[in-house]
Amino acid sequence: MALLEIEGLVVRFRTHEGTIHAVNGVSFQVDEGETLGLVGESGCGKSVTSLALMRLLPSPAGHVEGGRVRLDGTELLDLTEAEMRDLRGRELAMIFQDPMTSLNPVLTIAEQMVETIRAHTQMTAEQATARAVELLGMVGIPRPETRLKAFPHEFSGGMRQRVMIAMALALHPRLLIADEPTTALDVTIQAQVLELLRALTADSGTAVILITHDLGVVAGMTRRINVMYAGYIVETAPTAELFAHPAHPYTVGLLHSIPRLDAVEGEPLIPIEGTPPDQRRAPVGCPFAPRCAWRLAACWSTNPPLEPLVTGMPVVLTGDRATHRIACLNPPTPEEAAAGLPLREGFVAAPAPGSVVDELAIAEVPA
Amino acid sequence: MTAPQLAPAPRPDGEAPAGDRATAGPLLRVEDLKVYFPITEGLILQRHIGDVRAVDGVSFELARGETLGLVGESGCGKSTTGRALLRLYRPTAGRIEFDGHDLAALDGGQLRRFRRRMQMIFQDPYASLNPRMTAGGIVREPLDIFAVGTPPERRERVRDLLATVGLDPDFADRYPHEFSGGQRQRIGVARALALNPELIVADEPISALDVSIQAQIINLLERLQGQFGLTYLFIAHDLSVVRHISDRIAVMYLGRIVEVAAARELNERPLHPYTVALLSAIPVPDPVIEGRRRRIILTGDVPSPANPPSGCRFHTRCWLRERLGNPEECVTQDPALRPLASGHQVACHFAERVDGSVEQVQVAAALLRRAAPVDSTRAAPPDRPGPAGAPPG
Repeated sequence: MALLEIEGLVVRFRTHEGTIHAVNGVSFQVDEGETLGLVGESGCGKSVTSLALMRLLPSPAGHVEGGRVRLDGTELLDLTEAEMRDLRGRELAMIFQDPMTSLNPVLTIAEQMVETIRAHTQMTAEQATARAVELLGMVGIPRPETRLKAFPHEFSGGMRQRVMIAMALALHPRLLIADEPTTALDVTIQAQVLELLRALTADSGTAVILITHDLGVVAGMTRRINVMYAGYIVETAPTAELFAHPAHPYTVGLLHSIPRLDAVEGEPLIPIEGTPPDQRRAPVGCPFAPRCAWRLAACWSTNPPLEPLVTGMPVVLTGDRATHRIACLNPPTPEEAAAGLPLREGFVAAPAPGSVVDELAIAEVPA
Repeated sequence: MTAPQLAPAPRPDGEAPAGDRATAGPLLRVEDLKVYFPITEGLILQRHIGDVRAVDGVSFELARGETLGLVGESGCGKSTTGRALLRLYRPTAGRIEFDGHDLAALDGGQLRRFRRRMQMIFQDPYASLNPRMTAGGIVREPLDIFAVGTPPERRERVRDLLATVGLDPDFADRYPHEFSGGQRQRIGVARALALNPELIVADEPISALDVSIQAQIINLLERLQGQFGLTYLFIAHDLSVVRHISDRIAVMYLGRIVEVAAARELNERPLHPYTVALLSAIPVPDPVIEGRRRRIILTGDVPSPANPPSGCRFHTRCWLRERLGNPEECVTQDPALRPLASGHQVACHFAERVDGSVEQVQVAAALLRRAAPVDSTRAAPPDRPGPAGAPPG
């Protein structure tokens, strides 16, 4: 049995401007000790998925409107708040993007760490303090005894994120969710923090869900990746397989639209045209259809489920041998994926049915 | 790229006064630019107790039609440099020669006359557009300020500009909140183009945008450069983006330029230990390369620009210095930017020792080899250099 099982998760936000369809039926599993990347752009539902499973959705706007989340067989969505609180930190921990807003600015690091440790263990204050010093040393904070008495603002961004990692790992959780843990950091500091995260979670066998928009970060940090778009998982595969054989038009588009350090000079970028979807509209058809160069007429009305790339393959959900699955009616061929464009003779993406969608951007004028 | 082409819309007011224009030489020459922000103490008698040396002696040249990438981590002074060039900050010292005229010495009307020839694109398309003005009004404002043409001509020019940046001219009456981030950035670009500037300072123009939108804006900026013969100073923290768009790259650290080279040269043969570390820290979206790379993890944080380290400012974090047995020179002597190869300048006492080091080989090998397995769909097309599936270096 997998450590974490999410089935058909649906999350909506009720706002003044209508219902936001944030997560529209997401299912995946995570094994003990596995590292999974959730990749997508802002608004794709990657963070909301993790907040829903931590039961930390902003209330009262956010609702889980369907689906199940099981941690080691326990149904998380049925737990009381007190039971859930007991689980957080001990079984599940989370690191957020901005360490300044996730640390309490008016408490010292010592107060925050000792509080966390004592809330979940029988340790005395002295024992908890000793453990906090040990943890800060472990994440590479110099002079941990002194620094423990400091306030969050006295730390740099990278150091704060180290403190967050120390707190998250304090109770040896089985699953760590890292939500854009290095997005706010400079690239040399990002390298420090990622290295630390990798070493610590590998040592302790902690499973990690790494949420990021940076394909470079997941390439080096994860074993398996879910690509999300508009509240759906559109492609899932082991990391090596996903980068070697990207198969969903969105994944292909992402890989061709970022400048790479190892790219050949003069290689043009191929942008994904259009804009991310307005999630106030209930999804109809494939959510990526309006921006897709491979779309068929059917894509406007049909949203295909995640299915194995090779039809008839038995589906393995987790681990390095997980089945490569995509949600697409007209996937690019390997040659097209390599080129980033449809290569079929005379192929034109199907026009929108009926009235033209209100797209503000008009097509880019070729240079 | 640099071929001069006529702008589609003529300058309605004719050319700038002939006396302002010197034709030979670089468009911009910056010499020993310093921008200090004072630190004061006390509420009433604000005693000057120190300076944040945001930019501390920066020199570079920018040729017409060229793109210079200015790259570095937060706090290195790259944005301050960009803003000081447009005289949004008053330089503490140094010369900013734009087309042969020292901007640092100008004021008032004279400065205004030059300002229309240089424009800025800002990072945050949410904060840089006035929410109470329509898209058309935002783009028209520079034309109004400089009284360019008649009102109907200005209206027409605004429609042209919106179309040029890939927006529907009919959306001129919409307000910024009705546009997405990428579209807002296009409005910001249209505003920057309104007065037919020669120099555009783009300060992190894509870092606030979604990944899938970034390429749209990069391609737009590249197309406009070809179309209007623009000169760019492209400021960004992301070396892979800077490398894509720039002809030359200047790497900044703590208020100084530590290395300048052609984009390709910098990428393939970095000579400053900081550049090497920066390149090695950037994740590459390829698990094969990521699995083989060995990173140089710099220790510690960037020191405070209010109290920069003595000698070489990078010495507190330098991996090369450590390997060389911590030579005293790094602490006592401030290295000057010196040429090591044609067009390649570096500020390091021991830059010669960088070449051929273990890390250097690792970085270059990972970058030069698109190490894709032979059966991969992303196997290199024939025109790509480097053997596919070569063994790790």
